[in-house]
Amino acid sequence: MKALFYYFERDLVKWLRGRVTVVSSLVMPATWLVFVGLALPTKFTDNYLAFITPGILVMTTLFSSLQGGTLMIFDKILGFLNKFLAMPSPRESILYGKILFISVRGLLQATVILLIATLLGVRILNPINIILIYLTLFLFSVFFSALSTMIGLYLSDHDSYSAVNSMISMPLFFTSSALMPYEVMPSWLSTMAKLNPVSYAIDSIRMLFEGGMPVQGLIGLAIGAGIMVLLGTYQFRKAFV
Amino acid sequence: MIEIRKLSRSFGNLIAVNNLDLSVGNEIFGLLGPNGAGKSTTVMMLTTLLKPTSGTAKVCGYDVVKESKKVRSKISYVPQDMAVDRKLTGRENVQLYAKLYGIPNRNSKVEEVLEMMGLSDRASDLVATYSGGMRRRLELAQALIHEPEVLFLDEPTLGLDVSGRKKIWEHISMLKAEGMTIFMTTHYLEEAEKYCDRVAIIDKGRIEAIGSPENLINSIGEDASLNDVFLEKVKTPEEQVSFNSTQFRNLLRRR
Repeated sequence: MKALFYYFERDLVKWLRGRVTVVSSLVMPATWLVFVGLALPTKFTDNYLAFITPGILVMTTLFSSLQGGTLMIFDKILGFLNKFLAMPSPRESILYGKILFISVRGLLQATVILLIATLLGVRILNPINIILIYLTLFLFSVFFSALSTMIGLYLSDHDSYSAVNSMISMPLFFTSSALMPYEVMPSWLSTMAKLNPVSYAIDSIRMLFEGGMPVQGLIGLAIGAGIMVLLGTYQFRKAFV
Repeated sequence: MIEIRKLSRSFGNLIAVNNLDLSVGNEIFGLLGPNGAGKSTTVMMLTTLLKPTSGTAKVCGYDVVKESKKVRSKISYVPQDMAVDRKLTGRENVQLYAKLYGIPNRNSKVEEVLEMMGLSDRASDLVATYSGGMRRRLELAQALIHEPEVLFLDEPTLGLDVSGRKKIWEHISMLKAEGMTIFMTTHYLEEAEKYCDRVAIIDKGRIEAIGSPENLINSIGEDASLNDVFLEKVKTPEEQVSFNSTQFRNLLRRR
């Protein structure tokens, strides 16, 4: 499975060299943090920034993971995929390398958001929980990067993919517990929010910020990520192996 | 090196490759044919990227379906897309392949193939700055890193200028001289005539003619070329719709 890391390394180096994309991917979450987190007048908390930070961390990795499906599309339409598939290294490592890269990229972006939030005064009660926050984000990211890669392989067309992406990303974010607690939501929204996998990650991270231990959330995300990777592997094998 | 027996592949109702029989030895073999004739489908089945609907094919003695991994370790495939990473340097592009193939003494081998393809002095530059010919040679360098026994090339000279094409062909001939089998597709019949040991013309998934370029040309007549053989054997839809010059002139005048 060494090949997995070589594919990962290829995507990482390419991404880091595209300086514009590295910076631009951070602008939106940072904007949310500053202009919504610091500005929105809310009644349920007097520190909205601290409330919204977990939501923005998850949003960063969510959008980054959903964006990740384009990588597989481009490798396919530009001919890279066929060259890689004609090599003796295990074919699935192409898929796993992509999922790993998309997830790590999401974590790197989340790190910058976490640093900005810390600068703005957000504190984590138990610093050891930072590791668990990363674990949560990683599992969450694996779930959505496996999903987006599946959608990407299925559609194999960049335009349809970005249409699907913009169709699902915003509703997923707004129907989650990112912006407000379940208590203040209208009941129809809170029902949706409780079913939304994005809320799982946000609630877990919020609990970690407050010094708690979200055992259920972590297990749920791990199972979800595992199932998604299995489905992705199944689809990939069916298409190429 | 390549043994194809009754190989077929269909996509829905379309039969892309129809009962193909072919054996290729240690030579430069050119697969010629109009667009959509089944050339790429054939290459993709031989490189284990596509499963045949029926029939068998063996490359280096290994079955392309049952022993596909062994086939992949013996071959290299260069598709026509020019898939090299623009944001990586030439050297990094080759290194990726050396890593994926698990080449021992990686660095010296990478320098060796870069040198072979005449890319040593530009190896540290990003591929974004390379010309089309250099990118194609970089792909050949990637393909040669694990010393394959059979090299599959899909339109290796497509879109290159005259000197770029000449250079690619010199490299291909050199590889053949060193004992490599080269299986390629091309639209440039003059090139096939000059450099291929044998060619096959396929149309609608069937072989219409096969042999050395000289023999095929002689069968048509003196002063003929491979182009004449091709036009004789292949009836493309474009050709069947005859060109009506009077009508075309009238249309032009009407504008």
